[in-house]
Amino acid sequence: MSVEFSGFPFLSAILLSCVAGLLVILFIPREREALVKWVSLAFSAIALVLSIYVYCTYDRTHGGLQFVEKIQWIESLGIHYFNGADGFNLPLILLTGIVHFTGVLTMWELRGRVKEFFAFVFVLVLGVFGFFMSMDLFFLFVWFDVSLFPMYPLIAIWGTTRKEYGALKLFLHVLAGSALVLPGIVYLSVVSGLHTFDIVALMRPGAFTPGQQRFAFFLFYIGFGILAGVWPLHTWSPVGHVAAPTSVSMVHAGVLMKVGAFGILRVGIFVCPLGWEYWSPLMAILATIGIVYGIFVGLTQTDLKYVVAFSSVSHMGIVGLGLSTVTAEGLSGAVFQMFAHGVMTALLFSSLGYIYDKTHTKLIPDLGGMSRVMPMASSYFIVAALAGMGVPGFASFWAEVTVFISALKVYPVLGSLAIFALVLSALYMLRVVQRTFYGQRNERYAQLRDVPFSLGLPRMILIAVMVLFGLFPRLMLDLIQTGVIPFMGGLAR
Amino acid sequence: MKWLILGPEIYFLAMAVVFLILSLARHNARRDFAAALFLAGLGVAVTLTTVCMEGSFFSGAYRVDLYSQVFKGLLSLGFFLVVCLCSNLKGIEEESHSEFYLFLTTCTLGMMLLVSSIELLTLYVALELSSYSLYALVPLRSGSGQQMEAAIKYFLSGIATSALMLFGLASLFGATQTTYIAELTLKLPGLLHTPMAFIGLLLTLCGFFFKLALFPFHVWAPSVYQGAANQVTAFLATATKVTAMAMLARLVSMSHGNTSLAHVLIALAIISMTYGNLVALVQKDLKRLLAYSAIAHAGYALIGILSMNPTGYAAAVFYAMAYLAMTFICFLVVVKVASDGRNVAIVQLAGLHRRSPLLAMALLVGVFSLGGIPPTIGFTGKFLVFNAAMERDYFLLVLIAMINVVVSLYYYIQVVKAAFLLESEEELPAIKLSASVAILIVVIIVVIIVGGIFPRYLFQLATSAIRGLL
Repeated sequence: MSVEFSGFPFLSAILLSCVAGLLVILFIPREREALVKWVSLAFSAIALVLSIYVYCTYDRTHGGLQFVEKIQWIESLGIHYFNGADGFNLPLILLTGIVHFTGVLTMWELRGRVKEFFAFVFVLVLGVFGFFMSMDLFFLFVWFDVSLFPMYPLIAIWGTTRKEYGALKLFLHVLAGSALVLPGIVYLSVVSGLHTFDIVALMRPGAFTPGQQRFAFFLFYIGFGILAGVWPLHTWSPVGHVAAPTSVSMVHAGVLMKVGAFGILRVGIFVCPLGWEYWSPLMAILATIGIVYGIFVGLTQTDLKYVVAFSSVSHMGIVGLGLSTVTAEGLSGAVFQMFAHGVMTALLFSSLGYIYDKTHTKLIPDLGGMSRVMPMASSYFIVAALAGMGVPGFASFWAEVTVFISALKVYPVLGSLAIFALVLSALYMLRVVQRTFYGQRNERYAQLRDVPFSLGLPRMILIAVMVLFGLFPRLMLDLIQTGVIPFMGGLAR
Repeated sequence: MKWLILGPEIYFLAMAVVFLILSLARHNARRDFAAALFLAGLGVAVTLTTVCMEGSFFSGAYRVDLYSQVFKGLLSLGFFLVVCLCSNLKGIEEESHSEFYLFLTTCTLGMMLLVSSIELLTLYVALELSSYSLYALVPLRSGSGQQMEAAIKYFLSGIATSALMLFGLASLFGATQTTYIAELTLKLPGLLHTPMAFIGLLLTLCGFFFKLALFPFHVWAPSVYQGAANQVTAFLATATKVTAMAMLARLVSMSHGNTSLAHVLIALAIISMTYGNLVALVQKDLKRLLAYSAIAHAGYALIGILSMNPTGYAAAVFYAMAYLAMTFICFLVVVKVASDGRNVAIVQLAGLHRRSPLLAMALLVGVFSLGGIPPTIGFTGKFLVFNAAMERDYFLLVLIAMINVVVSLYYYIQVVKAAFLLESEEELPAIKLSASVAILIVVIIVVIIVGGIFPRYLFQLATSAIRGLL
C-alpha cells in the first residue's frame, strides 16, 4: 500500500474532526442534551479552524493541487483515497466550515432527539467536506451519497411543513441523480483504459474521445444538476427547503446545492472538457430559465421559506450561467457565487428560522411590522436580502458582476435577460421585506423577545463573512484564479 | 492426515449425529440451544482452520480449494449467526427444537458438500441433501397453518426445479460425455452453439436460480419467507443464497464467456431486479418485503456472474459476503422485534427508535446497505458488480440496475421511516437486549461499515478465491 502525504494531512484532519464528533456524540447518553450541543460546537469549531487554516496557508504563488494526501485503496481497481486542495474547492471547504459551525449555533434551542439530530448532521457534513476535497471519482461518489442520505431523517423527523413528503421527494430526486452519476463514473474509468479513478490521471488530454466526453458530461450534468437545482430538475428543492429544520435548510441550500454544482465542475468539466463545450449552450439556456423562473415564481409566494427557496433556484442559476460561459471569468464568478450564495442563503434561513421558532408562522400575511417587534432578527434578514439583490459591499455583488460580464460577452441575449431578471429580484426581495418587517404590526406577536446575543452570534458571523469578502473580494478571487487560469490555459482549444 | 482437510464436513456430520441423539432424549430447549451455540461456534473455528488447505477426493469428484473453503467459512458463519438468534425460539414447538437444529446442520452440511463438488452427480446429491433439510425446516413452525402452504409451495416448486435440473444434467452429459466440471470446462465452450449443450447448461443453472429466487423461479420466496419461522427464514435468506451465488459462478464459468448465455442471464437479471423491486413497493409485511428485495438482489448478484470476467466473479463472491452480513442484520431485527415468534408488519416497527435505539440503528444500517448507500458493504458490492459489467460494455444494464436501486430506496426508506418516525399507538415496552446480542449487533454494524469503507482485504480474498474457477 503506497502512501503519499505532503506534510501534515490537514484535509483528513477536517474529516476526522467530523468522524470524532460523530463518535463522541454516539457515546453520550441521550438525556444529556446540553453536552451533545457543546460537543457538536467544539468539533464543528475544530473543523472550522482547520478549514480557515488550510484556506489561509494555501500557497497562492505556486497554485495547483496542495495539501495532497494519497493512499492506494484498492490496487486492482485503481481506487485511491486522494484528497487535495486547489483554487476551486478551497472556497467551498471554507464555506462548509462556516455554515456547519453557524448551523450548530443556530440549532442551540433544539428540543427533542438532540443526540440523533447532531449525529446525522455530522454525517452530512462529513460527506460534504469529503466531496469537496476528494480527487478520486470513487470516493467522490461515496462522499456524495454519504452527504445525501442523512437528509431524509433530518427533514422527516425534525422538519415542519409537509415534512415526510418533502423529505421523500428530496431523497428520491437526489438519489436518482446519483443513479446517473455512478454509471458515468464507472464508464469513464473503464473506457479510459487507465484502470484508475484518479481525476488528475483522467484529466490527461486524449484520455477520452469527444463522443465519450459528450456522453459522460451529459450524465454528470443531469445527475449532479438535480442536486444543483438546475431548472427543470429543481422541483424537490423548494419543497425540501421549506420542510427542513433551520440548520438543515442552511446546510442544504448553503452547501449541499453547491455539492451538485461542484460535481458538475469537478467531474464534468474537469474530466470531460469537450463535453462541457458541447453542452454549454444548453447549460446557458437552462440556467437563464432557472434565474428568470425562480424570480417570477418567488414573486407570488406567500410563505417566507418558499420565497428564499425559489431565490436559491435563481441564484444557483447564476452559478450555472457562469459555468456555461466556458471562460476563465465565468468559471471564477461561478465558484465565487457558490461561496457567496452559500453564506447568504445560510443567513436568510438562519434569520427566518428564529422568526419561525418564535411566531410559529412563516406566512407573509400573518407577519408584518416585525422590525418593531424583533429589530435584530429583522435586520439580519434584511441584510441577507440586500446581499441577495446583489448590493455592492457584499460578496455576492462581485460574484454576480463577474458572472454577468462574462455571460454578456458569450451569450448577449441570455445574459441581458438574466440581468433584467436580477433587477426584478430586487423588487421581489423588497416586497417581502416591506410586507414582513414594515407596515402594520401584528399585535399577536408584540410580546415576543428579540434575538439574544448568543443566538445572534451565528448570524453576525455570516454577515461578517459576507462583508469581508464584499470589501476585499481579492481575498477570494485571487485564490480562485490560481485554479481557474492554469485550468483554462490547459484546455486544448 | 489427508482427511483432516475434510474437517468441516466431518465436524458438521458429527454435529448432526449429536442432534439426532438429542432429539431422542427428553426435550430441553435450553440444553439444545446451549449445545447448538457451542457446537456452531466451534464449527466456525474448525472451518476457519482449513481455509488455506487444498486437496482432491473421491477420484476427483470433490475438491477442496480456497474458493470452496471461503464459502464453507461463510456457511459456518451463517449457521452460527442463525443459531445465535435461537435463544428465544418461540416460533417452533419446543419438542421439535432438536430436530430444528438437526435439519439446520444437515442443510449446512449439504451446502458445504455442494461448494466443493466438481462432478455433476455429486453436486446433485449434495444439493438434494440441503434441499430436503429445508423442505423439512419450513413446516416446523408452530401455529396458524400458513407454514403448511409455504412448505407445500416450496416442496412442489423445489422438486419441479430438481427435475428440470436433472434433465439439464442429462443433456450436458449427453452432449459432452462427461460429468466432471474440469472436463466440461474444456469441452463445453466449443459445444455451446448446439441446443443440447446450451439448454443443458441453462437447465442445470435453473436449480440454483431456484435457490437464489431469481425470476422466474421466485414464486416460492414470498410465501416461504412469510410462512417459515423467523430463524428458518433468516437461514434461508442468508446461507442458501450465498451457496447459490457460489454455485452459479462455478457453473457459469464453465462457459468461458459465451455471449448467448450472457444475454439470457442479462434478461433474467433485469426482469428479476425490476420485478422484485416493483412488487416490494406495496408490501406490508417485513419478511415478505425482504423476500422481494431478495429477488431483486438475485438480479444484482447475477450481474457480477454474467460479466464472466475475473472482476465479475470476484465481485460476485464479495457480493455474497456482503449479502450475508446485511440480510442477517435485518433478520436479527425481525427476530428481536417479534419476541413471540410472529411475523412483523412494517407498521409494527413504529417507535423502534425508542424501544431499542440499537436495533433501530441496526435496521437503518442493514436497510441502507441493502439499498446500496455508501459507505456500507452493500454499496461496495454493487459498485464492484457494476464495474465488472462495465468492463464488458453493458452500460445499459448498469443504468437499469441503478434505476432499480433508486426504486428500491423507496421501500427501504419506508422501513426506516417506520422505525424512526412513526410512534406506536399503544405504549410498547422497551426491547431488552442481552449484552451478547448487543455486542453481536455492534460487530455486524462495524463489519458492514468497515467492509464498505475498507473493502481491500475482503476483495483480495475474493480475487484469490476465484482463481480456482478460471
